[in-house]
Amino acid sequence: MPGSNFAFIVASLHGRSGKTLLARLLADYLILSGPRPLIFDADAVERTLCSCFPYEAIVVDLADVRGQMVLFDTLAKPFVEMRVVDVAHHSFRKFFDLMRDTDFVEEAKLNDIEPVIFYLVGSTPESFEEGRQLRERFSDCRFVVVENAHFATVNDSVRRSSGFRALARHDLHMVMPSFSPIFADVISNPTLSLSEVLSQPMSLSDGPAATVGLSLDARTTLRGWLVRMFQEIHRITSLLEEPADTAVADWD
Amino acid sequence: MADDRRAFRPTGEEAAARTTTKPAVLMVGADKGGVGKTTVARTLLDYLAAKNLGARAFDAEFPRGTLKRFHPKITEIIDITAAADQMKMLDTLASSDAQISLVDISAGLLSRTLKAFTDVGFFELVRAGELNFCLLHVVGPAVASLNEIGEVMNFAEGDSYFVVKNFINETSFFDWNPGTYKSYFKNTKDVVEVNIPKLNEMAYEQVELAGIPFSTFIANKTAQGQAANHSLVLRGYVRTWLNQIAAEYERVGLLDRLLEVR
Repeated sequence: MPGSNFAFIVASLHGRSGKTLLARLLADYLILSGPRPLIFDADAVERTLCSCFPYEAIVVDLADVRGQMVLFDTLAKPFVEMRVVDVAHHSFRKFFDLMRDTDFVEEAKLNDIEPVIFYLVGSTPESFEEGRQLRERFSDCRFVVVENAHFATVNDSVRRSSGFRALARHDLHMVMPSFSPIFADVISNPTLSLSEVLSQPMSLSDGPAATVGLSLDARTTLRGWLVRMFQEIHRITSLLEEPADTAVADWD
Repeated sequence: MADDRRAFRPTGEEAAARTTTKPAVLMVGADKGGVGKTTVARTLLDYLAAKNLGARAFDAEFPRGTLKRFHPKITEIIDITAAADQMKMLDTLASSDAQISLVDISAGLLSRTLKAFTDVGFFELVRAGELNFCLLHVVGPAVASLNEIGEVMNFAEGDSYFVVKNFINETSFFDWNPGTYKSYFKNTKDVVEVNIPKLNEMAYEQVELAGIPFSTFIANKTAQGQAANHSLVLRGYVRTWLNQIAAEYERVGLLDRLLEVR
């Protein structure tokens, strides 16, 4: 729906999937395009997302009822800010069980908050199957299948799996383009604001401290990657602003 | 005595009108305090309301009833040891709009109340099929509870008697060893147990503070029916818990006992 207030929920079954990077990019995208979003880091152990946004990210421990309340009660509230949640892969089950048991989607929608699950698939049949079940379990929630091209592509046997085929038919897909290994260190530096890399003008010598040491060429390529990433996010959010297509592909 | 008994037998007209339903009394008791008897009574009132069954409640925790705090409109406080209050309750059984009367017996007064009801002929009417009756006996985790059960069971037919184990605080039950268990229950069919599952303490406390029925808390309303601001997460915990309890009441066929037709 146009003007919707979104709650982006970023999850993957396994760790090291690019999930936190996506959550960070979504947060940066929201920072670039509107009021500063509410950012929740549900990984009380690693706290990676929190270190990227130390002034506003809230770390919640889902093992504790109070942490659960801080997260879900706030996510569903009719505040003006958009929300991003990074679901720790080790809290995957707990998070979605809570989401279901609290009827979060229904309550959020009553408050004009549109939850969206960004599910990162991996290369195993389990990750696709889990995604399919998640989508079915939350058929009342918008769902985006995210593929991270930075990691290995799937082999044929995975392509033949029912989970893969079901998700392949899904209407909303997003691809995180791969990037050169020389950027891995740069991007993984939490003090680098990705939104700043884009919003600051390019110059020969200045630039965010973390990009010092990168050649102009490299910095240009990094910006290019970020532009493609944000364009992809923009494409998806525009699609999300349209009413959900109720005649989506069969679930089987 | 005979007059007392006739007092709560419906008149011919009423009897004709109620050929398919009988009034029912649902007694909730415990022989000691702190086992969660009133909590159980509250879940029963929510369960009956969800089933669209008219219920009224008598809070026998005279003079200050806890049940009345949570369900003020349908609850009356009575002194169950006073003959006048006993009659007030029993006389109106047949004529009340509420088909089911729930009685929350003060801890420690269960046996005494059952005896008093026997004296006024209540159980004769039950045996004669004029009234439906269920007894939920909320027990504590200690062995002493077994003694209570033995005593109380004499008053109720096997299939209208339920032992309720309250795990809301995750207390571990039970010291009952198989030998002792058998010696108490050898004369009846297996005792029907109802288990009240654990509920998160914070969730329970919030409902206590709000002083409203569990179902009202879940619906995020105040006692007056206005929109409230209760935690989504805590509401979810209470909803799950109440659904599990409803499933228990279904499993043991509580409604079948209460709604048996003539």
